[in-house]
Amino acid sequence: MKTIKISALILLSLLMINTTGMAQKLTGLQIMEKVYNRPTGNDMTANLTMTLINSSGQERVREIKQYIRDFGSVEKKIMFFLKPADVKNTSFMNWSYDKAGKDDDQWIYLPALMKIKRISSDSKGDYFMGSDFTYDDLGDRKPSDDTHKVIGEEKLNGLDCYIVESVPKDEDYMYSKTVTWVVKGRWYGLKKEFYDEDGELLKILTLKKADKIKGFWIIADVEMKNVQTNHKTIMQLSNIKIDTGIPASMFTQRMMKRGVR
Amino acid sequence: MQKLFAKSIKYSWAIIIGVLLVSVFFFFKMKENTRMETNLDKYMPQNHPAFVYSNKAEKWFDIKDGIIIAIENKNGIYNPKTLQIIKDLSKKLMKMHEIDKNDVTSLYTADDIVGTEGGMDVRRFYKRVPKSEKKLEDLKNSVRHNAMVYGMLVDSTETVAVVVARIGDNVFSQDFYKRILDLSHKYEDKENKIYVAGRPIVEGTLALLGPADMKLMVPIVLVVIFLVLFLTLRSIKSTIATLLVVFFSTLWTFGLMATVNIPIYAVSTMIPVMLIAIGVAYGIHLYHHLSLYIVENQNADKDAAIIDMLMQMWRPVSMAAVTTAVGFISLLTSQVYPIKYFGLFTAFGVTMAMFLSLFFIPAFIHVTGLPKVKRKINAEANSGKDELAYKFTDGVLKHSTFTIIATAAIVALSIYGMTKVWINSSFLDKFEKNSQIVKTDAFINDHFGGTSTINVILDGKEKDTFKKPEVLKLVNKMQYDVVKNVPIVGNAFSLVDFLDQINMVMHADSAKYFKIPDKQNLIAQYLLLYEMSGDPENLTKVVDYNYQKLNVTFQLKSDDSKATKSALAAIEKYKKDFEKLGIKINYAGSGYKALVFTDLILEGQIMSLVMSVFIVFILLLLMFRNLKVSIIGTIPILITAVISFGIMGWLDIPLNSTTALLSSIAVGIGIDYAIHFIERYRINSKLGDKLSASKLTMSESGKAILFNAIVVIAGFLVLLFSVFPPNRELGFLVSVNMFTSFLGTLTIMFLLLYKSNVYYEKNKGAKK
Repeated sequence: MKTIKISALILLSLLMINTTGMAQKLTGLQIMEKVYNRPTGNDMTANLTMTLINSSGQERVREIKQYIRDFGSVEKKIMFFLKPADVKNTSFMNWSYDKAGKDDDQWIYLPALMKIKRISSDSKGDYFMGSDFTYDDLGDRKPSDDTHKVIGEEKLNGLDCYIVESVPKDEDYMYSKTVTWVVKGRWYGLKKEFYDEDGELLKILTLKKADKIKGFWIIADVEMKNVQTNHKTIMQLSNIKIDTGIPASMFTQRMMKRGVR
Repeated sequence: MQKLFAKSIKYSWAIIIGVLLVSVFFFFKMKENTRMETNLDKYMPQNHPAFVYSNKAEKWFDIKDGIIIAIENKNGIYNPKTLQIIKDLSKKLMKMHEIDKNDVTSLYTADDIVGTEGGMDVRRFYKRVPKSEKKLEDLKNSVRHNAMVYGMLVDSTETVAVVVARIGDNVFSQDFYKRILDLSHKYEDKENKIYVAGRPIVEGTLALLGPADMKLMVPIVLVVIFLVLFLTLRSIKSTIATLLVVFFSTLWTFGLMATVNIPIYAVSTMIPVMLIAIGVAYGIHLYHHLSLYIVENQNADKDAAIIDMLMQMWRPVSMAAVTTAVGFISLLTSQVYPIKYFGLFTAFGVTMAMFLSLFFIPAFIHVTGLPKVKRKINAEANSGKDELAYKFTDGVLKHSTFTIIATAAIVALSIYGMTKVWINSSFLDKFEKNSQIVKTDAFINDHFGGTSTINVILDGKEKDTFKKPEVLKLVNKMQYDVVKNVPIVGNAFSLVDFLDQINMVMHADSAKYFKIPDKQNLIAQYLLLYEMSGDPENLTKVVDYNYQKLNVTFQLKSDDSKATKSALAAIEKYKKDFEKLGIKINYAGSGYKALVFTDLILEGQIMSLVMSVFIVFILLLLMFRNLKVSIIGTIPILITAVISFGIMGWLDIPLNSTTALLSSIAVGIGIDYAIHFIERYRINSKLGDKLSASKLTMSESGKAILFNAIVVIAGFLVLLFSVFPPNRELGFLVSVNMFTSFLGTLTIMFLLLYKSNVYYEKNKGAKK
């Protein structure tokens, strides 16, 4: 009897596995939701090295100390320039709101002028600090803005990936579509292709390194290459610290002026 | 030689068929392989330092020529309709696949740098077309407030706005040109007038107009040459044979070019001009001699006549052809490939014309029979005296002092005229002054900074040179100075204009701060600020990544070389100041390259002219083995060249790539005439005394030379009726060259030959 019971249990569990297996056939939207909502901790401190390389091979390297904290309805970020020397202590603060349609608040502090100035930008399609990343590319774009479709699965760099094609609902958006290779289980993109308004390949985003810190997958090294202009941006994070409890007072104009210690 | 000619006459049919077969072969080669080279960059020597640098700079800063489309609304542009046109036109241009999206600039696409309470914003002037009075007023004010747009994209009367579409070197085609014009003019209505201008449009129109006009004129030229040739040779058969020589040699030349895969350049169109002028001469000399022979030997046998013609004429014809060809080959010294090819292939064509004259014409005569010479008239003329030629000879000898003085005076005047010759690489100057394209250009130049540009590239020694206040202030000063002091310069634009505007905006729009900041850190921080809020692409057009190279664009209201040079001279004044800061000045852009290119062509042309005179002298020495004769033989070339340049100076015809090449005619024709005349004179000197030999030579060679000149001049004078100024200049200058060659040979050269006693010194000695 017992053996029957056990075998029934095994059978049941097998069935269960099978059904969970079935459930894992995720839709494109579900996959992208998982990517968008992947937990990365409440706050992060890191050094960001941003390298811009133009088609002639000339480089601009900027070193930045950045603090990010999620306050629920708003994500606040403050960045202090360390290098090059002539922009040292320039700081930049960004408050990004969850609420749809609410524009980011952005300030910049220019030490040479000793003044904080508010800057605004027309859209999320703007490029971030002269890099090849738009604010959207950096993770601000909501999955509900696009229609997603799983177009295949593939092993990339030894990792199993879903290939998801995302077409914007807004026809006038700067990309006609994007294709993302999402790592199963980890839910970050390993590679992403961006197609321009005419449907031609515009940029390729490649993830070079992701670190598991305090149980979170943190993207530490990415490269964005514009294949049409041959311009390239590399963003590398180092000294990454997660959930150290950055105080709310860090994200103020007072701190912008005081600079990084 | 006689044996060779006799044999060749036997194979007349074979020769004719052979010539036809070669022609058919080259015809098909031409048909399958001929292509026009329209990319002007391909004309320039790619390893010349000026071009190497300019091409590099064009890549660094994405320098391109712009098509300028202006929209004029007499009631002002700030109304929904006109703003809609600017928007629609901009968007349509961005969609054309020849135009990069980022290369379209207009009030619709431009960024405005504005101050906000407590900050700065970089934003578009408008996206949706403003409709309300207030919004239109706001737009007007923000434009007035932005020095980078006011006067650049909207003029100061606020009745004209421009849309600029920059295009790469190699996208221009006839079809693209047509589509641009169609698209632009579609937006024209009662209130809004559209003008299209800019260097690509001027080049494009030129590329269409020149050949189109030639297509119309060339048949007329050929008909006139045919008719005049017929009047001089008085035989349809002879006329046809002479023109066939020109036709076949031209066909073979272009056929060979197609076979060895060399494209047709703009200057290649001068090859037929040369071959007509030179090739016709051989036929005329042969037939002229033939007719004289027939008159003297009324019952001569056909082949005997041909043999006599060849035996008498093969030497001068082949000597003339070889010298001419070598003269053209001297163009190989030019640094400009199209000119090298021009020289090489014209030399080939001339050589072919010689072979055809010596073998095809005899074969043609053998097959079709001797031309019917109006024996009576000629008989009279010859048996008595060739009145005209004899009188002319007497006249020249009688007025020898006058002839020499007149020649000296004309040469002196010409040399003075030569000092006034100026080089012009302008494209616009090639159009009629009252043509649509010139008027459009003038209209846009009246309202804006200018339709032409020069790019001044400042090259610093170290990184971040162009973040230094003292450097940028000097750039600012140079821009201000050049725009203020050189009338032709309408505007200047560079990194300093961004910084002026940002500095002002960051200081509550206070005009006091419309200047370069005093601290490098602030400049660096402004630039970072601009990158963070604006379109950083804009900066890549004015400064490189390391802030080590700067691109300053000057807008010019004219593309002629004088104007460009006056701007360059004003800029060069800053050379020392920049050098003190470790910065070198260089130039870039198509206007600058055209300027350098024209100088190069000219330099090469003058070099090769000097060289060919020298080579011709050596060849004459080898042929005639007489120093005096060799010196005298170069005289027609020198006189023709000097007078040709002199007339250009006096009549204010600028030198450009086409007119400069015309001096080659001086070599080709001048040496032809000289050799024919001297050779005949040499032969005649054995028959009698100096005067009778001279008279005889004048009636033989002199007449043939006159015929040749008349035929070619008549043909090319037709071009004076062309609607295209460069073709008119061509017609005029070819005629002038022919005329002076002719006159110079028969007057001063003859006189010197006579006075120098060559070929009579020995005789005299013998008689004594």
